[in-house]
Amino acid sequence: MIFDPKVILDHLPEIASGALTTLWIWIVGMLLGAALGFLVATGRRYGGRLLDLPLGLAVEVLRGTPFLIQIFLVYYGGPYVGLSLDPIPCGLIGLTIYAAAYCSEIFRAGFAAVPHGHVEAAECLGLSRFQIVRRILLPEMALIVLPPFVNLAVILLKESAVLSIITVPELTATVSAIGSQQYAFLEAIFVLAVIYWVIVEAAAWTGRMAETRLNKLRFAAP
Amino acid sequence: MSFKLFFLLVKAAGWTLGISLVSIAAGLALAVLLCAAMLSGKALFTVPTRLFVSFFRGVPLLVQLLLIYNLLPFIGINVPSVVAAIIGLSLCTAAYQAENLRGGFESVAPGLVEAADMAGFSARQTFLRIKLPIALRLTFPALVNEAIMILKSSSLVSVVGIVELTRMSQDLASSTYLPIPLFASAGLIYLVICWTMALIGRFSERHLPGALPAGSGASR
Amino acid sequence: MQKRLFLKAALGAAMLFGASLSAHAEDALAKIKAGGTLKVGTETAFAPFDFIDAGDHVGLNVDLFDEIGKELGVKIEWVTLPWDGVLPGLEAGKFDIVAGPATITKARMERYRFTAPIAEATVAILKKAGDKTITKPEDLAGKAVGVGKATAQLAQLQEFSATLPKKIDVREYVSFNDAYADMAAGRVVAVANSLPNIAFVAKQRNGAFEVVLPPFGKKSYFGFIGTKDADHASLIDAVDAALIKMKGDGRMAKLQEKWFGTKFDTPDSVKDPAF
Repeated sequence: MIFDPKVILDHLPEIASGALTTLWIWIVGMLLGAALGFLVATGRRYGGRLLDLPLGLAVEVLRGTPFLIQIFLVYYGGPYVGLSLDPIPCGLIGLTIYAAAYCSEIFRAGFAAVPHGHVEAAECLGLSRFQIVRRILLPEMALIVLPPFVNLAVILLKESAVLSIITVPELTATVSAIGSQQYAFLEAIFVLAVIYWVIVEAAAWTGRMAETRLNKLRFAAP
Repeated sequence: MSFKLFFLLVKAAGWTLGISLVSIAAGLALAVLLCAAMLSGKALFTVPTRLFVSFFRGVPLLVQLLLIYNLLPFIGINVPSVVAAIIGLSLCTAAYQAENLRGGFESVAPGLVEAADMAGFSARQTFLRIKLPIALRLTFPALVNEAIMILKSSSLVSVVGIVELTRMSQDLASSTYLPIPLFASAGLIYLVICWTMALIGRFSERHLPGALPAGSGASR
Repeated sequence: MQKRLFLKAALGAAMLFGASLSAHAEDALAKIKAGGTLKVGTETAFAPFDFIDAGDHVGLNVDLFDEIGKELGVKIEWVTLPWDGVLPGLEAGKFDIVAGPATITKARMERYRFTAPIAEATVAILKKAGDKTITKPEDLAGKAVGVGKATAQLAQLQEFSATLPKKIDVREYVSFNDAYADMAAGRVVAVANSLPNIAFVAKQRNGAFEVVLPPFGKKSYFGFIGTKDADHASLIDAVDAALIKMKGDGRMAKLQEKWFGTKFDTPDSVKDPAF
């Protein structure tokens, strides 16, 4: 087996650019997804049947189908209904919606985990729903939702590799293109695996640090 | 969109289901072994196991599949597409299921282990007859979840040459220029399969032997 | 007892290893004929050579290999991979030969061995019908053009782009089908691919697309690909013989007419590709 790292070193700028694309799509997708997921979770909690049912159905569909199918539907099907997106916006939107579905479930579990007594007490004191969410639920949920969140973040980072299939110039696409053009397939796949491994371990480690830090601030009764 | 096209999708879904189910079973078996290794406390076992779990949870499945299909032949292991797909999916799910199971093992009440020890159970017997069933039972929902994730992840095995549901929908969409009906149908088929698995999971949880009353757990 | 078990296992492994070594002494063609199956890797997204038509795998490749199978006395087993996985798959030994077909280029000839050419591959442009802004290839300067990843067509497009005052915005797709879909959606204004392919797609799409002549690429040919090693030499020789026989007795011309509406005058082998 001939393994020539020179090919990879020669193309480092391209690979770095691909990695950067992966990172920013991942981070923005995660943040937007979290925000959207939170809105969906609150909507389902306080919006009555009118919001709960359709949103619930949407979430179930998004969690029950492969990400790839969702992306294909938007990317290839979109133009037929007038929605023609370039690969990067399409990938970002797809990742955001996918993230939002999972985030909304994490938040729903978080809401449920806050002892109902706290919410009741707040209601007795006359706090508005908005104040309850902001001052009681969110802080108490913070620690509970963090581990599943970190988990989801890692899953999303790996799903982003799928975006290469709709030609988003992210890490997988960039490295495999180099591999094909230089006939250095093995080096390419190997490097790809190592880079993802490093990024994921770093993300997981950061998540663990954040968890330990937040643990010190914990005040919700288990 | 004709019925013929839908039927082609359903046939391809057969591949999806078959490969996924085999991988889930193989993955679970491997996960139990991995857990045993991690709990053994001996560095000889725990270090490679941790590396394994870290790698298979840290690298995207797409890349893992390409590695198994293209890289392994160069160290002498040349497997056909189906085997590569199953190996890839099994290894990936084994890593996740091992993490899930580990949580379950750690929740086994120490009192039970002590009692087994006093009753003269060997370490292996304690593992197989006391810890494993309880861990499986406790982590059952997470395991069902993981099974569903593998089913969805199987949409990627077309990169190692399997024409499963997603690839079939792509092929048909590009020759009939009907992406929306085809991808929506494929999505629908995935949904039906996933929802069925979730239902079976919930049903099993409640009715299989060893079912714990809702809300309890053998925790410390 | 452990020691005996170990020795037995070691002996068994040694025997297996020895057996596999001796199996390698047989060359690829002999093994294939013995096993009765020729494994062919391809993309199935390269009409009209190789594509899926409402569930059926059809195309010039399928027809040609059916004939090759008859000549060699073996069954054909198709392995479908995305195009950028096909050549790695060949090198990894996942199949014996690649259909594709692939453009015969100098770079590829260094690494692989091509069969006798089966069609012309000169690269030209496909555009949306009625698009008056593109009447010749040079009009593509500064515009978005789609092409397949890891293809010779991509290399030709990049080379052509370098000669233009404004560079072409080259968009790479996993398969040409995706490129055509994007052109229909308006995300790219043209797709660069070999003449036979785009002529077929223009016909298939009933007037939605048009071919832009003249082709901008250098004259090139399509062939099937095999590995260069000594093991596979007899296999490629046999395939070559089958193809040349088909050219001689008119079967090749008939199949080309069936799929392209015209036949191609191809040399029996390409020793010195244009690029």
